[in-house]
This record gives sequence, C-alpha cells and structure tokens, in this order.
Amino acid sequence: MNSIELEGVNKFFGHHHAVADMSFSVPAGSVYGFLGPNGAGKTSTIRMIMSILYPDSGRVTVLGSNNPESVKDRLGYLPEEKGLYKKMKTRELIAYFGTLKGLPWREAHSRAQALLERFGLQASADQKCESLSKGMGQKVQIISTLIHEPEVVILDEPFSGLDPINIEMVRDVILDLRRQGRTVIFSTHIMEQAEQICDALLLVNGGRKILDGPVADIKRDFEPTLLVDFEGDARHLDQPGVTRINNMGRKAELSIAQDADPQMIMQSLMREMTITGFSVREPSLHEIFVRAVRESAT
Amino acid sequence: MKRMLLISLREFLENVRTKGFWIGILMMPVVLVLVAVVPLIIESTRSAKSYAVIDESNWLGSEVQAEISRRDFRYLFTDLRKGREEALLPELAKVLPEIRVLGETGIDEAVASILTGSAPPEALGNRWVAHLSDHRVLIRDWWQKLTPGARADLSARISSNRFVLMEHSGDIETLNQQINSGSLFAYFILGADPVNESAGGRYVSNNLTDLDLQNWYGRIVNRIVRDRRLLEKNIDEETAAWINQQTEFEGIKLDEDGLEAQVDNTDIARQWAPVGFVYFLWISILINTQMLLTNTIEEKSNKLIEVLLSSVSPVMLMGGKILGIAATGLTIILSWIVMALVFFLGVPALLGVELPLDLSSVLAEPWLLLSFLVYFLLGYLFYAALLVGLGSLCNNLKEAQNLILPVQMIQILPILMMIPIGRDPNSTLAQVMSYIPPLTPFVMMNRAAGPPAVSEYITTTLLMVVSIVAAFWLAAKVFRIGILMTGKPPGLREIYRLLRAPVSTRGTASGRAS
Repeated sequence: MNSIELEGVNKFFGHHHAVADMSFSVPAGSVYGFLGPNGAGKTSTIRMIMSILYPDSGRVTVLGSNNPESVKDRLGYLPEEKGLYKKMKTRELIAYFGTLKGLPWREAHSRAQALLERFGLQASADQKCESLSKGMGQKVQIISTLIHEPEVVILDEPFSGLDPINIEMVRDVILDLRRQGRTVIFSTHIMEQAEQICDALLLVNGGRKILDGPVADIKRDFEPTLLVDFEGDARHLDQPGVTRINNMGRKAELSIAQDADPQMIMQSLMREMTITGFSVREPSLHEIFVRAVRESAT
Repeated sequence: MKRMLLISLREFLENVRTKGFWIGILMMPVVLVLVAVVPLIIESTRSAKSYAVIDESNWLGSEVQAEISRRDFRYLFTDLRKGREEALLPELAKVLPEIRVLGETGIDEAVASILTGSAPPEALGNRWVAHLSDHRVLIRDWWQKLTPGARADLSARISSNRFVLMEHSGDIETLNQQINSGSLFAYFILGADPVNESAGGRYVSNNLTDLDLQNWYGRIVNRIVRDRRLLEKNIDEETAAWINQQTEFEGIKLDEDGLEAQVDNTDIARQWAPVGFVYFLWISILINTQMLLTNTIEEKSNKLIEVLLSSVSPVMLMGGKILGIAATGLTIILSWIVMALVFFLGVPALLGVELPLDLSSVLAEPWLLLSFLVYFLLGYLFYAALLVGLGSLCNNLKEAQNLILPVQMIQILPILMMIPIGRDPNSTLAQVMSYIPPLTPFVMMNRAAGPPAVSEYITTTLLMVVSIVAAFWLAAKVFRIGILMTGKPPGLREIYRLLRAPVSTRGTASGRAS
C-alpha cells in the first residue's frame, strides 16, 4: 500500500524544467526522505503533492486519490519557510489551523491545549506568538501541522536552522509519528540525518530522480569501501575484486566488488606491502549520492 | 466556502485589534468636532485690525464712521427682522448714532442692562436706552432665541470687532513708525475733495495680501461719495436711495410638479452632500484596499502563505482576505454613520445648541446612505481584486508601491472631478465617466443630487458587477502564482504573460504555469 505515487510528473517554471519525469512511490507508514542539493526540485515536488502547485504533465496520486485537493485535510504540511501570526495567541493560532483543516472549533481548541501540554508549552498557550523563542515557535509550527492528526505528514527541510536540541526534538517527533503508523515525508540536503531515520528515500538532482527505494536496498546496491594506510609500492593495491582505487599517497580508498570478500583482499595486500591501518565501511549516503550523481552525469 | 469565512473572520478579528481600526473609527468624531468647532475658533481668534484715517476733506471721515455704525446696526438686527419684528426697525433707526461706539461687549452689556433693568453703559445715549426699554420684551425674546453660534456669527459681522479706528495726531511720520512696529495695520488718507476728484486717496500698509480692510473701507467711502454726488445734482434723498438700491436675486427651485419653492440652506446642503459622500467613499476605499495590500504582503513575507495554501485553495484565501477586510471597512463606515446621526440629530436636541453645519436632513435620506454603502462595496471589491493581485507579486511594500502606481493614478481622478461633477451632475462628461468601471462608484455617488436616471443606475451597476467578476478572475490567476513567487516582482509584460498562460490543474492538464 502506497500513500503517495508520482508517475512521469513534469513541472516547468517558464523555461526552467524544475521537475523532470518524476516517478516514485512512498509506502504507507514509512519515513521517507527527499534528498538532494538545494534547487534539486524537492520543494516543487512537495508542493505538487500538497496541490499548492499543479504538474504540467504526469499523475500525482495521494492517499489513493487522483485529485490531491480532495485529500488536503488528511495531509499535514510544514513548509521550509514558515511563519506565525505574530499577534495571535499560541492556542488560538493552532486551533485556527485546525479549523482550516476541517476540525470543529471546540475540538480544535481542546486538541491545541492538549498538544501544547504534550510539548511542554502550556505556559505559553495564552501568549502572543511574537513573544515565543525560536525553538518554541518551531514547536508551535509542528503542533499546527499535526493538530488534525494527518495520515501523511510532509516536512520540508525540518532541521534547517535548528540547534542540536531542537534537531533532536524534531527527530523524536518524526519517530513518534512512525510509531503511530503515519507516513512521514521530509526533505533535507544533509545526508546524515536522512541516513539516521529514513526507511526509504528518493535522491534527486537537477529536477531528476537519481535513485529511490528502501535505504537498506540502496546501500546493498553500492559497493563497500576499504580504507587502508600503507607503505610500499602502490601498484600492489590493484588486487582482484578491487573495482576502483582512490590513491592519496600513503592512504587509499578501495571500492570492492559486491561478490568479493574484503578479508581476502586484505590478506593479499598484507602479503605485498606494509599495512599500518585499515577499516571496512558501508558506503554512506553521502558517497552513494556523490557516486550516483557522477554516474548519472556520465 | 466555510474556510473562506474562517479566513475572513480571522482577518476581521485581527484588524479589529489594530490601532489603525480604532483610529479609523475615531476619525469621525474628530472630523465632526472639527467641523463644528473650528469655524467658531477661527472667528474668536481673529484679532481686530487697527487703522487710522487722515481726513483732508474734513467731512468724509465722520460720514464713513456714521455709515459703519448704520451697517453694524443693520447686521445686528437682521435677526430681529427675521423674527418678524420688522416694525421695530424704523424705530431703532432713529437712534442710530448712539450705537456707533458699541463693540461686541458693548452690545452685550447694553442688551443685558436693558433686560435686567440695571444701569446702562455710560456710552449709551438716552434715546437708545429709552427705545430699548420700550421694546424690552421683543428684544429679550429675540436675544434668548439666539443660539451661541448665531451670537458668535453676529459678533463676527459687527465691523467694530474686526476693524478698530485709532485716534492719532495727524503726523504721518508717527503713523509710518506705528505701521513698521506693527501696532497699526494700515492708515487711509482721504483726499481734500473726493466728490470732484477721484484721485487723492491713499491706503498705506505693510500687509499686501490681506485686503479685507481696504475693500471694506473703500466700499463705504464709494457709497458715501456717490450719495454726495447725487445730492449735488439736486437729486433728492429718496431718488438717490432708489438709484443706489441693488437688485437682489432670490434663489428658487422647481419641485417635481414644476412648482416654485424657496431655496434654503438645507437644499444647498443636499445638493453638495454627494460631494462629501464621494470624499468619504474615496477615503474608505483607499484605506481598506491599502489595508488589504499591506496585509497580503505581510502574510507573504511572514511565510504564512504556504501553510495556508496547504489547507485552502489560493482563490479561497484571496476571497477570505477580501471579505475579512470588507467586514472591517463596513464596521468602520457603519460606526461613522451612527456617530454622524447621533451628532447631527442628537447633539442639537440634547444640548439645545445649533450646529454651524446642519446635515441632519442629508443623513435622514436613506437613499443617499444606501447608495453610499452599495458603492463602497462595489468600489472596494473592484480595487481590492486589483491590489490583492498585484500585491501577491511583491515581497515588500516598496515593491508594491511601484506596481500599484497606475492604479493610484486612476484613483486620483474622482477627487479631481468631485467639484465639477457636483456642480453639473448630469453633464455629458459625468455621464460618460459613470460608465468607466474604476470610476463608476465615485462618479455615480457624485451625481446623486442630479439624480441620474434609473436606467443609468441599473446599467452602470451591471457593468460594475461584470467588471468586478472579471477583476476577480484576473486577480485569482495572478494570485495563485504570485503569492508563491520570491525575488524581484515581475514587470508588466511578465504579468501579461501570467494572465495569458493557462493554469494547470489537477495533474491532468498540460501547459506551463508561471
């Protein structure tokens, strides 16, 4: 079961092809990451899912509906650039966003109060938004996104500009949403964050999909790396099973074929030269991304 | 639809809490008080100008002073005449010279002394006292009926309150010094033989802009000299008076049946009231559309738009904002109307004072008020659509000011045309302008005293409604794209392209947006 499916979606801004032939699907109940550098088309894709923008061609299916507008109330969206009505009281503001998502007024107010208490903001419930600190403001924005208990929560760059404490807070919210069985999509250009919490992800660059799928599958598709510190003739680095050598002089990064055994390669290397240190690593998302972008460019 | 109302409700509540809203509401009482009080203040603070007269003819100066007294007297008792105490006038005319020494306070004292039976001021001659005593009841009634406004008006018309004759030694050097030092406003030199020679008179002053004194004194001198010339040609006083008599025109209007009726101040107020309404209409529309523009840009720069758009469509958002501010504007206008009604109908009745400007008859006409409300809504909706569309393209007010300049230039036209249309509400120009949608509300309001034909009301309103729908359609097209735009606002050519581009919808349509 997929919460969101995109098929061959294109979006132009004037002559700029912002999203090109985008197809992917987000499994229900997963934490799904949109990864890519700035300007890769992440926000435009999100806006099309939210029916804030409409694709020029292709199909967007959200919660089984081809008309995303009709399911807006079941989605929660926190844009990258977000603000608050400065003059409104915190609880009023949260309840207002709740009513805009179709909650009855009374229900919206009681939920706002409950959420403020859960996030430790009950003392600020009757304060104006302009008096909130940045971290508190961030919490209020998240509460506003969650008040109508959306089935799908979309967070655009939720970690940008946050201090470590608030990064942790947002991460906990995302993991909590997953526990509740909701689908969470978030975009980021910081790979480490995605690596920590995503079940599946989509890599985009220049408006195009580079790759997508469950994180484990993606990593499995990429070769592990052997890092060695060595003394001796660098020609010996070229052993069977090594697909790529990145020689830095006394240090080298060796990509290893998937069917090769890193142990065997280490033994052969130690026979030929002096190895002063080594480690075997899974490729990081960062490496995968860089490699994939490079490969797609060639 | 429900969410549009939610947005407008929030908008309304937020605006009601702003200072601007309350300033708007309180503007009316301030304007009313100013209208009522400022003329009185201006009158009371106007200081009397002092002047001197060097009379080389040895007779003209004293004649002029006598005439001045006569005129003051006539002004003073115009109200008496209005009160149908006309019989009193010839009687009072017999005691003319005695009141020439009376200033405003003098007259007050004199009247007071007669009414209370106390001793009259010394300056009063016996005949005056005796005469006033004879007509004590009449004068008392008249005086008691005078409102404070009328009394102030009366004293302003008494020339001795405006111009004070100074005694002097006849030395021109001293007079010149006094003018330079500011203690004397001006002096007149009357020629030796003003009857036979028109030259010879002089008016000396440092103030070349305020000609009131010169004109006033000159008129009286001319009148006396003319009388004297008539006399020298042996024309008797009666004939002379007849020759001097001015032709007066009485204002007459025709009512619907073609019958004649007297024109009074209420008619004039009614004729010009639409102009006042146009002014208020203009201010209301300007303030409210400006509020909408500021608010749209603020919301855009506050980065709230995207959150809102995740819940409602751009058109709903735009509609909600326009509606919310319309509600704010209507609240302000209704409060103005209520306050004006209370002021013009309630204050005179409660405090028993007469206002210098009586608009109660105008306010009591429901047709005028109704058309004011209707034209406010039509005009507001039209300009709101334009400004919200343009405002959505801008990131700050400075950018917006450049973009809305053409709109503002159109908005100035009704103000420029206000007086000409008020003078001639059914002129061809006024009729043509009624059919130009951006001007329709103002021009039709302006023409209300005409009034325009019913068919004109219907066609112009229909045209206006069609224009509003068109403006909303265009604004919605720009808004849904503009509101998410960042960076430099587009030029006119790009806006045109925006309007022409088909808007993709729901994933199936093709084409390019933005």
